[in-house]
Amino acid sequence: MLLQLLSYLALVVFAVGILTRVVKYLRMPLHVRWELYPIPHEKGREYGGSYFEEVNWWEKPKEKSFIGQIKFMVPEILFVRGLYHDNRKLWWASFPFHFGIYLVIGWLVLLLIGAILNIAGLSPESAPATFLQSFAVIFGAVGFVLGVAGCIGLLMFRIFDSDLRSFAAPKDYFNLVFILSIFLTGLIAWSSSDPSFIIFRDYIKGVITFSPVTIESSLVLAHIILLSLFLMYLPFTHMTHFFAKYFMWDKVRWDDERNLRGSAMEAKVKQVLNYRQNWSAPHIKPGKTWAETATEEVE
Amino acid sequence: MKAEKINPKDISRPSEQMVELNPADFMKLPYPYDKGEDEPAFKRLKEDQKKKYETSLDGVLAVGIPRPATKGEEDELVRKFLSGLEKLLTKENNWTFLQPLTLSLEYCAKCQTCNDACPIYISSGKKDIYRPTYRSEVLRMIANKYLKKSGKLLAKFTGNDIELNWTTVAKLAELAYRCTLCRRCAQTCPIGVDNGLITHELRKIFSQEMGIAPGEIHTLGSVQHLKKGSSTGLMPVALKDTLEFLEDDIKERTGLDIKFPLDKEGADILLIHNAGEYLSWPENPMAFAIIFEAAGLNWTLSTDLLGYDAVNYGLWYDDVQFARVAVRHAQIAKKLGVKKIVIGECGHAHKAISVIADRIINEEINIPRESSMTLLEDLVCSGKLNLDPKKNAFPVTLHDPCNMVRLMGVVEPQRKIIRKICPQFREMEPHGVRNYCCGGGSGFAIMSSMNFPNWRSSVSGRMKFKQILEAFQDVIDPSIKKMVCAPCSNCKGALREIFNYYNAWEKCGISYTGLVELIVNAMVDIKEPYIEWPIM
Repeated sequence: MLLQLLSYLALVVFAVGILTRVVKYLRMPLHVRWELYPIPHEKGREYGGSYFEEVNWWEKPKEKSFIGQIKFMVPEILFVRGLYHDNRKLWWASFPFHFGIYLVIGWLVLLLIGAILNIAGLSPESAPATFLQSFAVIFGAVGFVLGVAGCIGLLMFRIFDSDLRSFAAPKDYFNLVFILSIFLTGLIAWSSSDPSFIIFRDYIKGVITFSPVTIESSLVLAHIILLSLFLMYLPFTHMTHFFAKYFMWDKVRWDDERNLRGSAMEAKVKQVLNYRQNWSAPHIKPGKTWAETATEEVE
Repeated sequence: MKAEKINPKDISRPSEQMVELNPADFMKLPYPYDKGEDEPAFKRLKEDQKKKYETSLDGVLAVGIPRPATKGEEDELVRKFLSGLEKLLTKENNWTFLQPLTLSLEYCAKCQTCNDACPIYISSGKKDIYRPTYRSEVLRMIANKYLKKSGKLLAKFTGNDIELNWTTVAKLAELAYRCTLCRRCAQTCPIGVDNGLITHELRKIFSQEMGIAPGEIHTLGSVQHLKKGSSTGLMPVALKDTLEFLEDDIKERTGLDIKFPLDKEGADILLIHNAGEYLSWPENPMAFAIIFEAAGLNWTLSTDLLGYDAVNYGLWYDDVQFARVAVRHAQIAKKLGVKKIVIGECGHAHKAISVIADRIINEEINIPRESSMTLLEDLVCSGKLNLDPKKNAFPVTLHDPCNMVRLMGVVEPQRKIIRKICPQFREMEPHGVRNYCCGGGSGFAIMSSMNFPNWRSSVSGRMKFKQILEAFQDVIDPSIKKMVCAPCSNCKGALREIFNYYNAWEKCGISYTGLVELIVNAMVDIKEPYIEWPIM
């Protein structure tokens, strides 16, 4: 039961940690526009144009292309497209690393579905359950192999590429070794102790039903412990970029929302202009609002 | 042998000079500069300059901070730097960029992908201190170690064990002015980190908290702009004289009787130029007047303080100065009762008033702003002007001002015009939103103290010069006159310096101009060529 307690704790710390960070970014005030083109939701302007290319643009409705954004995001998220174009050699390590993570997440989801179906009464020997489990095997095994390869590749870059090495901190190596240990234990556990991932699925079932599960394979045990510890560590690292990218792209890089008369944006701008700044340089009088600072007579 | 790598922590070590710049290491240029024989020698600082100023970064001076006289003074400056950094991370002092800055400080994976996108890093022969990641990582380390609760305790493990001392601060001040804020690096970041933004924020600590900024952009720049009406020092009375002189010049060159409409209340358009045009390239505002009059537009210029100078240097280093200038521009438009402000050929003024000021000029002073590129495209492509492209029968390439293109999305209008009026148009590679900066961005074009111009032309503008030479390789013979169209005053200023530095006119027959000059040159009704060669 201790192991399960660790898993519960991991899930709670992970959820609270991520949520705290999300709330922190959500509560930040409106910022000035700082977009970078191309912006994929600009309809028909894939070359990087904007609505500023139109005469009297403020008189025209703004059309956002949802499809354009999806077309950009899917290959970016799944295949790390940006890196493929701008840093191909690193992509050969980064792509398997990230794709390995996606597959392992898929593996966990499939195991979770299997466990839920099992609880709901579907026999593990039934055709649908077997079918699902074979998918889980593919996702898990391929994910672990890719993850191990990606981790080793990224470690090699950090160690042997002088441009990366001169900026590397102990933490960077630690993170990679930590993730590698998760992939590696998963891979070895699959190949030596749990070829159909039945032990893993039953463990998840135990977690859902709050019933103790005894795990005899030390490798499966090690994998679960490492993964739980990692979930608790992740929210406090830059690896949370998996959700922060939403803010960095949607809320900064692609934020071209206009401030039109009478809009909600206008009210938000009014609010931030009332913040009081406290800068100390000779040309600034601290203690005044931004609106006052911008309009005061300059000596 | 390759020099030893410089890591971010090295910035704290007192040294005479971190990096020695040698033109032999710089990126090679194409023919006819490929032999390197025409590379001017790099101007070294004099001994008295070295004694007086902090020169320990790379032996170049952009800011020129006097060396503190005592340890006490040094400590005070370090304290102020840290207090500025702290303020940068609060919403009251920095609502303008808090979210983008926080995200960029928290998420760099140090993959170094952005390095190869930076024209300064590449042009310098890959000097480590010019990596887009270098100054960002230093600032990140200082913030993590000195402003976070457990920062010092975990510094070794997290890699933030940097020493914040005077040498670090002095080098950072100069290093903040070795980046043109072109944000090409940000475009390639797979995560979305913006090292250009971090440089921008670093400049703000120095200006808004410590009162440190290059004289050309602060004292002679935004301060003079607010006080006298223009960063050029051009005052309203002198402007009116200048305009009268330009009216005579238009008459002489084209035979047209044109009066600049001044302070016309209720006009459709308030046109604001970068006032540098009136002094350095008067043919540009003249050409605008010729085109607007030919098209029958209802427009005006302003002679109000600031109303005739579209620049906003605060964009590069100081949010307070930025807001002051932006608000005054908008107030003038409001006072005149115009329908819109049209920005002349000035890239940073485009972005300043259209994009950044969009969340500063609010409510009743929120007058619509429009790019002149868009308006000109409408005039040229709708057939309102009688144009003959054969009059522009020379090779032309187009420079994309970063602020107008990558950072604002005005990409095609100027191209559509050039394709229509310049039959020998060819693109540089890369172009559009992937363009390279002219090397004069973020204030560099106007910064001219000590040996900074030397660095600008040979390092920050080197990639642009390479692109231009490549675009014209098939017609590189100096007897073939060639034109670079740069619809931006600062870009033109930077190109002028680069071309002079490398004798580009004499060696290759390359000159530069704005967009409206090419349009007027193609106007059928104007008999004499409007473009004069070379423009240097």
